[in-house]
Amino acid sequence: METRYLIVGGSAAGMAAAHTIRKKDKTGAITVLSDEDTLPYFRPMVPYILTGKKQVPDIALSGTGIFVQPRIDVRTGTIVTSVDPVAKILTTASGKTWSYDKVLFATGSRPYLPETVKGLDSPGVFSLKTVADAAAMAQRSRNTDHVVLLGGGILNLKAAFALLEKKIKVTLVVHSPEVLSQLMDPEDAFLIRKALDRAGLKIMTGCSADHVVTDADGVCAVALDNGTQIPCRMVCVGKGVIPNTECVRGSAITVDKGILADPFTACSVKDTFAAGDVAVTHDPATGEKTVTALWTNAVDMGICAGLNMAGIPTRYTGTLGIMNATQVAKEPFVAMGRVHTKGRDLETHIDKTDTTYRKIVFNKEGTRLVGALFIGDITHAGMYRYVIREKKPIDRIKSHLIRHTLHYGHFM
Amino acid sequence: MSNYKEIFVKTDKCTGCLTCKIACAVEHSETKSLFSAIRESPRPVSRVYVEWLPGNAKVPVLCRHCEEAPCLNACISGAISRSDTNAVITDAGKCIGCWTCVMVCPYGVIGRDQTLAKAFRCDRCPDREIPACVGACPTQALVYETVDGFSKTKRKTVSRELLTREGA
Ligand SMILES: Cc1cc2nc3c(=O)[nH]c(=O)nc-3n(C[C@H](O)[C@H](O)[C@H](O)COP(=O)(O)OP(=O)(O)OC[C@H]3O[C@@H](n4cnc5c(N)ncnc54)[C@H](O)[C@@H]3O)c2cc1C
Repeated sequence: METRYLIVGGSAAGMAAAHTIRKKDKTGAITVLSDEDTLPYFRPMVPYILTGKKQVPDIALSGTGIFVQPRIDVRTGTIVTSVDPVAKILTTASGKTWSYDKVLFATGSRPYLPETVKGLDSPGVFSLKTVADAAAMAQRSRNTDHVVLLGGGILNLKAAFALLEKKIKVTLVVHSPEVLSQLMDPEDAFLIRKALDRAGLKIMTGCSADHVVTDADGVCAVALDNGTQIPCRMVCVGKGVIPNTECVRGSAITVDKGILADPFTACSVKDTFAAGDVAVTHDPATGEKTVTALWTNAVDMGICAGLNMAGIPTRYTGTLGIMNATQVAKEPFVAMGRVHTKGRDLETHIDKTDTTYRKIVFNKEGTRLVGALFIGDITHAGMYRYVIREKKPIDRIKSHLIRHTLHYGHFM
Repeated sequence: MSNYKEIFVKTDKCTGCLTCKIACAVEHSETKSLFSAIRESPRPVSRVYVEWLPGNAKVPVLCRHCEEAPCLNACISGAISRSDTNAVITDAGKCIGCWTCVMVCPYGVIGRDQTLAKAFRCDRCPDREIPACVGACPTQALVYETVDGFSKTKRKTVSRELLTREGA
């Protein structure tokens, strides 16, 4: 009998699993159920849909990289509402049921909308997550000359630059003392902040939105907790994400913030698996349970789940909670592992020039590399990641790590 | 295991003359001639690197086109793919310069064109029979061979040492 594989969610984790299964199982039936109306695409490319630089077909997963296997049946517009993991049946919003032998939950995450801010359900308030969001934002932005973005994380910075490119004024309202507070200490961010200011972003730190003010056309201003109001016709919320666990709630599958996955990506009930933003896994740098929101992690975990589902037991080694590379305002940066050092008992080395900033973090004994932050020059960042991830002995390379003279030869 | 040719490094034969770097830069220039390439702007750069080790050993380093390539899994724009000759290639048209590949490559062999915001790496010179660096190497420290043709132990020390599958 051919194995029937069902995958809920057709993004990084779901599609990586589907293509991995197909590599190992040439005959099984692989079906992906996705509630989006678009065929799977590279989600991090969504800002390019907002600017109009790319069209949806340009960012399709199918046919690129690892997504090149045949016979994967993707059903778009299909919302899974519940699962009976004992009878092995999924139910969709239209009432249709799907039987399976093995199922993967790769339902990802969605933007977190803080309940304390009233009016986030008003027309003109968005979060940038899907191509549909990007299209709706592009539509609204035509009648908008000012957008207020709530949150100073990497997603909002990307949204901000996409809007700036459309010649729209943007203001970021950031609760923390500095932007990118999840990825670095405030003191680390000055080069990036300088570049953002230069690029024309207006940034207000240390304040939050209290509520959204509306009129007949939806949002017309944001009222801040310091009593001021910023007039605008559009708001974009970027305050982190929460896992999409609704479809397994009420079943025997254990949920604890996200869906709990064991080291072999399996859930608490036999033949059920979880991967990607929805899964709770562990961070090798801290040993703690963690949920992440990274494409690269979702793909790796999806591959691992795919192998396990195809009957090849494969351990997921976990993931660094912080593992971001990007470029904002022409400033490249990489943040990996433990990068928040202020007030912590860690051995930290900082090296700065006018154009670069580098922070190398060891455990307090100084015997292991646990984090690295590079701004302006990210050369050889991958070697640092390798040393952190693999917990490499550093006695012979420590001075190279600090002076940034490490190269491949040192590993030979 | 593939039957395609790969570039292997014999570290004991490298004298650090850097001929490979010049040949690589010229091959990846607009004009493909040394005399005009050095006048091009931006200046063509090599995708081969030669590192020095204490005791005066030299180590040429370049993209290994790994079997389990972390960059291939990690690319967020669909720019990296496996060619039909088993090379891992970056499509500059699709690359958005997010540097995720640079962050995950344990060899440090993915270069950055900061002006164009594109990543680049060894492409094994698809237009040539033998990659430019191999052809130019005066001491045969660089060889172009199939895996079977090259001693497996050597291959291990120069190319596969770092790789454990991500997530595995
Ligand atoms: C604008 C933007 C830029 C980003 N940039 C980067 C970056 O540069 N680097 C990086 O590492 N990460 C980036 N990310 C994060 C990255 O995209 C996510 O971590 C990744 O997409 C997670 O993949 P996933 O497969 O776990 O889930 P998701 O991508 O969230 O996909 C889950 C899918 O399942 C669907 N679904 C959910 N519930 C159901 C249901 N009940 N029935 C059917 N379908 C369902 C969802 O609609 C969605 O299509 C970015 C994200 C965004 C939004």
